[in-house]
Amino acid sequence: MTDLVLVVEDSDEDIEAIARAIGRSHPELRLEFLRSGSGVLPRLDTAGAPVPGLVLLDLNMPGEGGLDVIRQVRARPELAGLRLVVFTSSENQAEADACYAAGADSYIYKPINFALFQSVLAQTLDYWRSRDANVTHTVVPPPGDSPAQA
Amino acid sequence: MPPLGGEGLSEADARWAGALHRLWGAVVAIGSREQLADLVLPPLQQLPGVRAVWGLRHATDGDRVLAYRWRGVPLTGDLQQLALDLAPGKAGPAHVVDTGAALRAYGVGRVVAARFDQPGQAAGTFLVAVDDTADTGFVADCLTQVVEVTQEAVRRLSSFRDEHEQQVRDALLAEASLQMDAVLDTAQTMYRVPRMAVPAIAEGCLVFVHEDGKPVLRSAVHVDMRRLDALLKEPGMIDRLATPGEHAQVLRARGRVIGLLVFLFDRPAERIPPASFLRDLAARAALAIDNSTLYEQRRQEVVRMQQHLLPSRLPRVAGLRLAASYTVGDRVLEVGGDFYDAVVRANGELVAVIGDVCGRGVDAAALTGMARHTLAALLQEGLSPARALTRLNARLRLDGSWRFITAAVAVVSPDGAVEWTSAGHPAPVVMRAGGGSGRACGGGVPLGVLAEPVLKQSRLELAAGDTLLMFTDGLTESRDAEGRMFEEKALGDTLDRLHGTTPQALVDDLSRAAQTTDDIALLAIRREDDPR
Repeated sequence: MTDLVLVVEDSDEDIEAIARAIGRSHPELRLEFLRSGSGVLPRLDTAGAPVPGLVLLDLNMPGEGGLDVIRQVRARPELAGLRLVVFTSSENQAEADACYAAGADSYIYKPINFALFQSVLAQTLDYWRSRDANVTHTVVPPPGDSPAQA
Repeated sequence: MPPLGGEGLSEADARWAGALHRLWGAVVAIGSREQLADLVLPPLQQLPGVRAVWGLRHATDGDRVLAYRWRGVPLTGDLQQLALDLAPGKAGPAHVVDTGAALRAYGVGRVVAARFDQPGQAAGTFLVAVDDTADTGFVADCLTQVVEVTQEAVRRLSSFRDEHEQQVRDALLAEASLQMDAVLDTAQTMYRVPRMAVPAIAEGCLVFVHEDGKPVLRSAVHVDMRRLDALLKEPGMIDRLATPGEHAQVLRARGRVIGLLVFLFDRPAERIPPASFLRDLAARAALAIDNSTLYEQRRQEVVRMQQHLLPSRLPRVAGLRLAASYTVGDRVLEVGGDFYDAVVRANGELVAVIGDVCGRGVDAAALTGMARHTLAALLQEGLSPARALTRLNARLRLDGSWRFITAAVAVVSPDGAVEWTSAGHPAPVVMRAGGGSGRACGGGVPLGVLAEPVLKQSRLELAAGDTLLMFTDGLTESRDAEGRMFEEKALGDTLDRLHGTTPQALVDDLSRAAQTTDDIALLAIRREDDPR
């Protein structure tokens, strides 16, 4: 995965919080911000521009929302390796299902508390960076010491 | 020429003192162990005779090396194995190792080595490779000081991270509790628990609930849902995951085991939250899930009881089509007092009853059952509506009930004549076959208020295709989208829109159109086009 993360977000507060959080947890990453979904494909199509490895997407933006962006990106086979992470405070499960169906890689809760906000972003980045570095760990917990397993 | 080491060493001493001072200042400000090597390796490389400084970060478990860092000769390829061989197996003071010919190509004959351990943290090894001109005693003293600085930095980082993780866990418990308490719907509660936990404290989280003694997977969230989907499709995997263990916390509420909260981790062991925290989260989740389950059970009981208070079916009458609906007010856990019924008299008349006992709850429900059965039985036996309503009024007065009842009776003859008797009940609507609708008469005083009831009687006619619509005040007193009473405008608009639909569609759509917190009973009687 490249060291560039594209953040698509229209809220000033969230842009500041994301920059502060990732700046602290992953100072080696570069961030580029877009304020609307309509700018994503033109940005990805710009010849010679650095290629992001991951897009962090807000869902509710004026004009093209996050779901439109997911559909557009996933309609382009050459962008299949791009990780699409939806970062939203919505609790609507149907929305989460729609995002996965459209091809999102993650649908992540956006917390209110900044320490938690930073941790959620850091864990998400760590997960996808380790996956794409082809580092694998065990996903299933080791069996417990219950009588059923004895 | 000054003697070797004399003036030179004191200059080196002075330079080192400055470097060490700067080092102490810098390491207290770092936020990640990744930044450490860039600070602690360069001052050692500046020492006279030093060709390379190598740093190894060891895994907390086993002999693996997590990271190789260097200044000078790059620590890559075969040199990594050599560095591992030279590294002391355990912590101890800096000492000199003769490297023979192994590093001659780099001008190096000796290495000053030291290892430090820190409980619970990755251990580290320093190897300072020097040429023949170096004062290894001086290098070892400097290295010992760098090890001290490094240990302090690692201790600070660890304590900073512990504090940060504690903050994250506190915030997660607070936000999760808020989120879980905000809903009373079981499915939503079960979804919110794993959604909050992932990926802050685990990469995946699953909720199992015991149904008929077996764990059933009710909700699953993972930072990588496609990966989780694939995992859950593996044969036997769900059963394996539903086994209590270190990362599967039992959900226990009010002394009962209700399920299992399973965490999936895909992170280094030191980043896995302590079991005590997972237990705490599971305890809160269990209570929220149990509360919403109890709420739903109670609500279903209310709906079932409400159904028992209403006729299970409406009579079939030649020339008339009947339909009824009952909508339970939103989020109300008590039985409402609305009722309706319809009976056919021996002479072929249809008698329809609608009413509303004020208040809710068990007492209102008992009165509702009594009122409906009293009216239906008396009216079926041929008593006039006025007499039946008077008997019910007398019964209410005799029982000393403070509750009153609005009620109305429609006696519909086969020829379409309707005798309407109202005791303080909302006036019905007549929808004409050709379009348009109007309110008939209400009036009268609710039963149970006065010793002698005051009733209002009126007559109306149903032509072929006309519909008599009887309802309780839950319909008329609800609010439309703009907050106006439904009765003011929306009722007329909705009736116009529903003109021509079947009686059942009419009552169903009307009850949906009214956004209400109160119960709504609706009874529609249409005189068919071709009465036999």
